[in-house]
Amino acid sequence: MSDSLTFMMGKHPAVLPAHLRFARNHLWCAPTAEGNRFGFTSYAVRLMQDVYFLDWQVNSGDDVALLEQIGHIETSKAVSDLFSPAKGKLLRFNEVVLADPSGINVDYHGQGWLFELVGDVGHLMNVQEYLEFLESNWEKTQRMIKGKINAGDD
Amino acid sequence: MSQRKLNVVLSQAQGKDPLKRGLEEEIAAALLLEPGIDLGIVAHLYDLESGHTGRLFLESLPGDMVVLSWLYPRAAYWLLDRNEISGNYGENQLSPPAEVDEEEESEASPAQEKSMGIGSAKTADRVIYCLDMRDSRDFRAFVEEIRRILKECRQRWSEAEKIKQPAVVQLGIGILSKPANGTAHESFPKEGMLTIPARRWYPVIDYSRCTNCLECLDFCLFGVYGVDSLDRIYVDNQDQCKKGCPACSRVCPEQAIMFPDYKSPAIAGAPVGSIGGLKIDLTKLFGGGDALVIAAQERDKELVRDGRSAVGLTVGIPKRQEGKADGPKDDIDNLMDALDNLD
Repeated sequence: MSDSLTFMMGKHPAVLPAHLRFARNHLWCAPTAEGNRFGFTSYAVRLMQDVYFLDWQVNSGDDVALLEQIGHIETSKAVSDLFSPAKGKLLRFNEVVLADPSGINVDYHGQGWLFELVGDVGHLMNVQEYLEFLESNWEKTQRMIKGKINAGDD
Repeated sequence: MSQRKLNVVLSQAQGKDPLKRGLEEEIAAALLLEPGIDLGIVAHLYDLESGHTGRLFLESLPGDMVVLSWLYPRAAYWLLDRNEISGNYGENQLSPPAEVDEEEESEASPAQEKSMGIGSAKTADRVIYCLDMRDSRDFRAFVEEIRRILKECRQRWSEAEKIKQPAVVQLGIGILSKPANGTAHESFPKEGMLTIPARRWYPVIDYSRCTNCLECLDFCLFGVYGVDSLDRIYVDNQDQCKKGCPACSRVCPEQAIMFPDYKSPAIAGAPVGSIGGLKIDLTKLFGGGDALVIAAQERDKELVRDGRSAVGLTVGIPKRQEGKADGPKDDIDNLMDALDNLD
């Protein structure tokens, strides 16, 4: 079984480890003893670049709905609200990256994980599906980013 | 001879957060001892009604001023503008778009010159600096920045003086009879300025970004927006706005509508956008769904609460998505280079 697939973001390769599952909002998911751990995919980190600020609007133990807003992030290039990748209960947040979000950039597939959640993750994609998802949306994504750049630039 | 002073106004936080109060008190105590500064304290800027003593006080202040508040500088600046307290936007060195640092202190807004917004209806000839008290927990950072601003202002004042001076000196007109400020502080009772107003909720328009496309006017079904005699969009009935609902801000294609008290920074007036210190909003990419869909849902919720029928996406939803897709196609590599070059 292959270790990983690679999606080319222009010249930049985004590596997608095959043992992970993926949510449409660019979080990876890996099973833990109690539930599932989530973090940003290489694709997401590449778009955002250096993370400056991370904030959660829900607490551990809270029930969350699919795509419920749970937090906010600010990076050198972007800002975004963050949304739950699944319906379930939030078990815990990674306190380390909450205190120093630059850890997300250092090791986004490992120590830079974001939170753990127990719930329904059946809808998540495998690596091949995520790769195809990225490919089919890349045009649109570029247009969105480019649109924003142009909107502020002239 | 009376040295001209810089007006500094501190706008208190809503509620009684001891940390915020503590910082406010430290800043105020330090500024009272600071030479060259006239300090006034008012209640939370966003909640001030037009007749509130605090607002009247702000309006009465002539010349350059610094306003400290718990709001993003962009939100505070346009909120003041909305309250007929206008001036040119003064860059400060505390707030994040500090990428400006490289260009040293080019005062008044480079950001605004670049934009295609329609701009403020009238801008008084002065500079307003808005400082966000969330930018530091240390009061000294604010005192330092205010000292820097004072220096910057004095330079500007003395240059202006050089142009005007001759006539004044020769005539020996008693400038002293009425100092430029000073009187303002006495005629506004302190208690009045600090009277805690009821909480309010309404949009604030950033006219440096607003292109007057009127999409917000079409979208809002609660009559909040209107157009003035010059056909410019403005917030007409602000208190008809639905508390907590930021839907029109999501619909705005220029991110020109702010709700300063909203929880997510992009809507509360954080620097958002793109190149030049402004940032890209990736919310849609990260699961925020289509902003228009969310906006329609938020609006439906308020319509139903009012006993009206939900309208979903059938009313006042701009059709701009389709048009945008026809734009020139960009080379993938160029895009990524552009992203790289953002800083």
